[in-house]
Amino acid sequence: MKPTRAVEANCDARDNWASHSLVTGTSDAELIAAVLAGDIEAFSGLVRRYQDTCTRFAVRMLGSRVDADDALQSAFMRAFRGLRSCKDPNRFGGWLYQIVINECRTYATRQRRRELRFPPATEAIERAVAPGSEAEADKDVGGHIERALSMLPTEQREAFLLKHVEELSYDEMAEMTGVSVPALKMRVKRACDGLRDLLEGVYNG
Amino acid sequence: MGEFYDDKAQVQDAAFAERVAASLRAPERAHPSFEKRLMEKVLIEGRVLYKTAAASPNNSWWRTEWIIRISPRGGVAIAAGIAALIAVSSVLGSRISARSQQPSVTVAPARDTVQLVRFVFVDSGASTVALVGDFNEWTRGATQLKRSGAPGVWTVSVPLTPGRHEYAFIVNGSRWVADPLAVKSSDDFGTESSVIRIASAGKSET
Repeated sequence: MKPTRAVEANCDARDNWASHSLVTGTSDAELIAAVLAGDIEAFSGLVRRYQDTCTRFAVRMLGSRVDADDALQSAFMRAFRGLRSCKDPNRFGGWLYQIVINECRTYATRQRRRELRFPPATEAIERAVAPGSEAEADKDVGGHIERALSMLPTEQREAFLLKHVEELSYDEMAEMTGVSVPALKMRVKRACDGLRDLLEGVYNG
Repeated sequence: MGEFYDDKAQVQDAAFAERVAASLRAPERAHPSFEKRLMEKVLIEGRVLYKTAAASPNNSWWRTEWIIRISPRGGVAIAAGIAALIAVSSVLGSRISARSQQPSVTVAPARDTVQLVRFVFVDSGASTVALVGDFNEWTRGATQLKRSGAPGVWTVSVPLTPGRHEYAFIVNGSRWVADPLAVKSSDDFGTESSVIRIASAGKSET
């Protein structure tokens, strides 16, 4: 059963995710039904639809395009293997996002282990975000922010990204992460506090 | 949390966060090869997970036991590929030696429509062996054989659906080797491949 690809995408997994669904084709539910019926290539429609959005989160979360690529390959494969367990195919985007979040956590843990084995140039990073540093002078604000973000604890970084970059509600975050709303609020607050300290020089407080 | 993190603080944090998040919201593109690499894996696994599942609702192929089918080839000094049906959980090394002494073809009764086929390739001089065929879109490197316990013996198991399948081995990344013990098939350019037939009733023939 080949999916019809002439219809405009109707991805209603989440509104802001749907806004990224620029791929023309059938709905998520139709693509999933096609895969389950044996049209394996229909999965590529879902990949095209979500790969860039997932890439943004993974790159921000892991601070490495290579690790993000690996994590997303793994996450998409997990999604593919577990496609039958996607209870609401119309919400595939949110379901996939849960998998991506979990996979990024796993990779973040691996990164920490790797850094224990091969310590990164932490001092250099700290100098880069410190007030008055030479690196600050290059006005690479985006770079400062990404470096500061990478220095947050994983759970705070994840909460900050979900809240302020992916712009999820706390209820949505709780559903995706399995963490309570109060705990998520605390993580976001601590993330903001941490970023404010790290970026004090960049934003002059 | 709520009593310690009041609305005012949330508003202040939100304003700060908005400044920070603005640059982080810049779109990112997946690597150009991301989809291709992913779909190569998806297509291979999908044959087992979904395409075959549609034909076998009880999805019990992995519980089906199959008797090894191997043809002996004494005195073959060069590479020899042997397609064999085996028990899914069997240990290969001991079965190769045992079955290789028996030229007869033994086929297990089928209880399902997908068969796990173990391809065995023997070449003491090989450093890598890959299996290519219609079942993996003839993708070089998609199905790598691994060394088994026996010297020079390479194996891989591939789930195959009923029907006719063509395949060949690629040795050391470049040398194309058709299975010398199987039925041959040639394409328009004279390149020989091998043929294995998987019968839905569990009978197989090459």
